[in-house]
Amino acid sequence: MIWTSDLKENSADSIHSVANMTNFLASSVHDMKNSVSMLIGGLEKALASTEATQLSTHAELMQMNHEAKRINNNLIQLLTLYKLGQKIYPFDPQSICLNDFLHVMVAQYRELLKFRAINLEVRVNPELYWYFDEDLISGVIGNALNNAMRYTRDRIHIIAEENEGKLVLRIEDNGNGYSSQMLQESEDCVRGVDFQGGSTGLGFYFSAMVARMHHNQGCLGELKLENGGSLSGACFVLRLP
Amino acid sequence: MNTSEFNALTADMDFSDTTALIIDDYQEMRSIFRDILRSCGADVKKISMAASGSEAISLIKKTQFDIVLCDLDLGSGKNGQQVLEEAKHLSLVGSSCLWIMISAEKSPEAVTGAAEYQPDAYLLKPVTEMNLRLRLAKIWGKKKAFAEIHQAMMQLDYPKAMSLCDQRLTSDKANAADLLRTKCNLLLITGEYDRAKKVLEKILVERDLPWAKAALAKILLKKNDFVAAKTLLEETAETNPAFLEAHDLLALALQAMGDLEAANSVLERAVKLSPNSVLRQKNLGAVAMKIGKLESAERAFRKSISLGEDSVLKTADAYFGLAKACGASKKPDEAIKVLGQLNKSFATDEMRLKVLAVEGMIYHQSDNAEKTKQIATEIIQLIDQDAIHPDSDGSLEIARLLMVTDDKDKAIKLLQREIKNNPENAALLQDVAEIFDQAGMGEEGSKLIETLRQEAMLIMNRGVLLVSKGQYQEAVNAMRDAYAAMPANMRVLLNLAYVIITYIQKNGPTPELIQEARSSLLAANELSPGDPRFIRLMASLNEFSASK
Repeated sequence: MIWTSDLKENSADSIHSVANMTNFLASSVHDMKNSVSMLIGGLEKALASTEATQLSTHAELMQMNHEAKRINNNLIQLLTLYKLGQKIYPFDPQSICLNDFLHVMVAQYRELLKFRAINLEVRVNPELYWYFDEDLISGVIGNALNNAMRYTRDRIHIIAEENEGKLVLRIEDNGNGYSSQMLQESEDCVRGVDFQGGSTGLGFYFSAMVARMHHNQGCLGELKLENGGSLSGACFVLRLP
Repeated sequence: MNTSEFNALTADMDFSDTTALIIDDYQEMRSIFRDILRSCGADVKKISMAASGSEAISLIKKTQFDIVLCDLDLGSGKNGQQVLEEAKHLSLVGSSCLWIMISAEKSPEAVTGAAEYQPDAYLLKPVTEMNLRLRLAKIWGKKKAFAEIHQAMMQLDYPKAMSLCDQRLTSDKANAADLLRTKCNLLLITGEYDRAKKVLEKILVERDLPWAKAALAKILLKKNDFVAAKTLLEETAETNPAFLEAHDLLALALQAMGDLEAANSVLERAVKLSPNSVLRQKNLGAVAMKIGKLESAERAFRKSISLGEDSVLKTADAYFGLAKACGASKKPDEAIKVLGQLNKSFATDEMRLKVLAVEGMIYHQSDNAEKTKQIATEIIQLIDQDAIHPDSDGSLEIARLLMVTDDKDKAIKLLQREIKNNPENAALLQDVAEIFDQAGMGEEGSKLIETLRQEAMLIMNRGVLLVSKGQYQEAVNAMRDAYAAMPANMRVLLNLAYVIITYIQKNGPTPELIQEARSSLLAANELSPGDPRFIRLMASLNEFSASK
């Protein structure tokens, strides 16, 4: 856990106050999530109306909805990391149909993809089922999709297949690919905070953590960033045992 | 992107006639859910809304809802889980109602918990029209797939349920995981432990599934292999800390091994993960009480009682536990008050007798000899009139009291009956030994237990032995004698039914014999509901009634 790992070096007094702070953060995050849920609910309702596309502020509303969802995802990931650290996250792998799962994922981005003129293709065998924690993996795929939408030129592929007894999920785009620094850091599994680049490292940290939580018969899941793939851009690759 | 595929999944759902209930303490959330249902095609006039659990229950009493969307966290008062339990307890929601629990974060209850009190799905906020539609479509599909199986299970026709599972497993890939789990559950219910073990081991070769490990551990517990169960459960709880069933079973294994301190700390941890379980809090209270952690016991029993209010899971045990904890911590007035609540909530003669016995002990602990004696006399009168037959727990409480009021002969008589009726119940025999011990009769007690236990075992199995020699009429007679001597002995009741059924198979049925076997089985089921042997014997008995 990020917050508690620094505590050990502090004095007993400050340990107490920081521990309280951690609980404050967790409970506030929970509360903020409720607010964001209502915000998203309101925006979805506004966007669903027939006149929505005629509004002069339609583009802004779309963007707001997208950002609200990003906030929500980040809050979920913070809370999840907190609970993982406390060993109280209810990890719950279930048998999931990849076809349904990915289409639901993608459908959430339908409007935004159309709006940004990005072509997204899902390649998955309808008979493919795998065991994983649906909520956690949808957080990971959401991170990857947000990234791909930001850096792609106009195409994204999501590919799910079984390979050597593992589920391989690939999110590929036709952007410029990851920088060599990012590729190196992903190898080392350390992503620092980069406030200027707008990347907190939270998404990557969360995704790597979630990958490693999935285990079977002594094998752990893994996360890899690569360049190339079917669209010769960035590839986000998740392997689950 | 392929929206047509997605639409196809949810296309055959028609909401126009759907009655729905939305339960959420935030007005804004309620209207968001109502809008979502409306855009799914629901008629707004058929949507009801409740801001609290009690408001929800009064609406559910009036209307049969097709869909319930319920927030897990309802602010003060009942939470969503308690509303669901109460609704099911009062049989207000049937199997056709889709109950969806909504929460801001994933709750530990979503991962494990008694299946009967589970909603059909958990959804995380924010809920959008699309994920609600898709979830409803999935549940509908699952309900359809399991309808026949559940029906067979309701009719206790387990062989049919099992073959339906097997049939479906060959083609239904979407529900394969749940079908397999149901199949294992059926094998456990019918006591086919070896077959269940094989299926589970095959599953576990492919994938580490916590539920499969827990099921395997249950079989080990049934076979009294506590050490192996403990090892397996510790490993499961370590790799899946939020899988609460593993903690609960581990505590059971540790209790059976006599390691109460360890059982206590396992339950403490589980309660920290999920504080809202009526049963777990009660179990924690009982273990804490046994190791003298009175404060912790009192807290756990209080929590269990407040959670169990209006719930299916409400038990008298938590009240008794609380009363005893208060009595032991020298708060007799508080203890008597709790017992008073008990009399109001569970008004039966047997319960009143047990309450009286516990009350007597509390006066004894607070050195009120006069009151103690007065209650003991009252109880003895009631028993001598032979009007009330206390259950096992009640008998032990009465014996405990009569031991301290110097009515030892009467106490020993009660304890003898309990030993004879429960010679295979290790926990109960342990309690009996402890009562003797506290009366300074430890050695005498353990001798008595051993002699009576062996005698009882001999009588219990005599009928079965005679059957194996082909002496059917003698077998029935022997078991009738055994029944006269030990009318509340589980194995005697089951064996009596067994020898009658075997007799019928040889000599043909008569209505009297079928009736005798049936009432014996029903009495056994009342003592310990759902025993695998009861289920099997009832099934063979029903075959006669059907073929007749």
